[in-house]
Amino acid sequence: MIEKERKQGAPVLVLDAGNALFKSRDSAAAPDARARAELILSQMDAQGTAAMAVGTRDLGLGVDFLQAQTRKAKLKLLSANLVDAQEKRLFPASMVTKLQGVSVGVVGVSPETPKPVPVGIPAKGAPQELVRGLPGDALVAAEVRRLRTESKVDIVVVLAAVPYDEALRLADQVEGVDFVVQSHDGRPPGYAQKQGQATVIPPGDRGRQLAKLVLQVAGKGRFEDAAEQDRMRQSLRLLDDNLARAKKRLASSQDAGEKRALEQSVASLEARQASLRETLAGGATGGGRTHLLSYIQLGSDVPADPAVQKRVERVEPPGSAAH
Amino acid sequence: MSPRPVKLAALALLLLLPMVAGAAPKQLVLLFTGDNGGEVAPCG
Repeated sequence: MIEKERKQGAPVLVLDAGNALFKSRDSAAAPDARARAELILSQMDAQGTAAMAVGTRDLGLGVDFLQAQTRKAKLKLLSANLVDAQEKRLFPASMVTKLQGVSVGVVGVSPETPKPVPVGIPAKGAPQELVRGLPGDALVAAEVRRLRTESKVDIVVVLAAVPYDEALRLADQVEGVDFVVQSHDGRPPGYAQKQGQATVIPPGDRGRQLAKLVLQVAGKGRFEDAAEQDRMRQSLRLLDDNLARAKKRLASSQDAGEKRALEQSVASLEARQASLRETLAGGATGGGRTHLLSYIQLGSDVPADPAVQKRVERVEPPGSAAH
Repeated sequence: MSPRPVKLAALALLLLLPMVAGAAPKQLVLLFTGDNGGEVAPCG
């Protein structure tokens, strides 16, 4: 499916918002959990996923596991705020990639924890690994500033493997972010939600769909929702028709009372028309940047890759309880 | 107009063309996944 998108011609960037590897925070001890996590990471890399945020449900086998599995991979694991017991950052905060001359900065953020929390599977006689999620907003803000000023990126995407309310707060309060892609709560596909200067995108869940965000990039400034602009254009067309009809009736009306009422209607419609035109013109000239969100459903109608299918069946044999 | 200024004008036009082309919007596609939760098959 990703290959199909790549063949359409426009440059494609694949990103994962995190919480990819385990069913729950405590499910990593299940017999097939490691094989699943290894398969998912290697497939994400093979499919060209450029980066993934580290979420709570990615830490089931610890930080060492993640680092070892991605050491030779192109896939980058990101977190601006996940630190070890000595408060040393465990993953890079961000990465920058260039698509058709457009520079995209990607920042990862993990959930905040008030104190260090154990991760991984405890080994006998060894202390359990502790990690802490520092408050994310300030660290993300600093990283976004750095990307904007030093790396001169054109677009900033935050992969937020944090609860929904934390993602909304981040979108609202951190300057310079274009998109916040949130994972943590297993929210279903939804709509692009304006929040502050940014737009919050739900990526879908459980591998059932791909969220596809088509960007038109010209100039600087905030991205406008192309779907909203389409709705406004439709409203404007309807308004133009109503206004023409009202004016025609006004021209032919002989009754003074009806004329007054029609004059009021025309004035009100004209005011609404001017306001809509102004909003549309603002969207078009305020940078010429739009986004359009849709979802590609991944059902049984999407043919499986035979080689991948073989690997999946080793982890999850046909007819097994998980099927 | 002598041939030299004509050549210079043509060169200037050629140099300007990429700038004009650069002004057109560029289209990018971002594909996102998330909250996969250990799934390896549509029914798993």
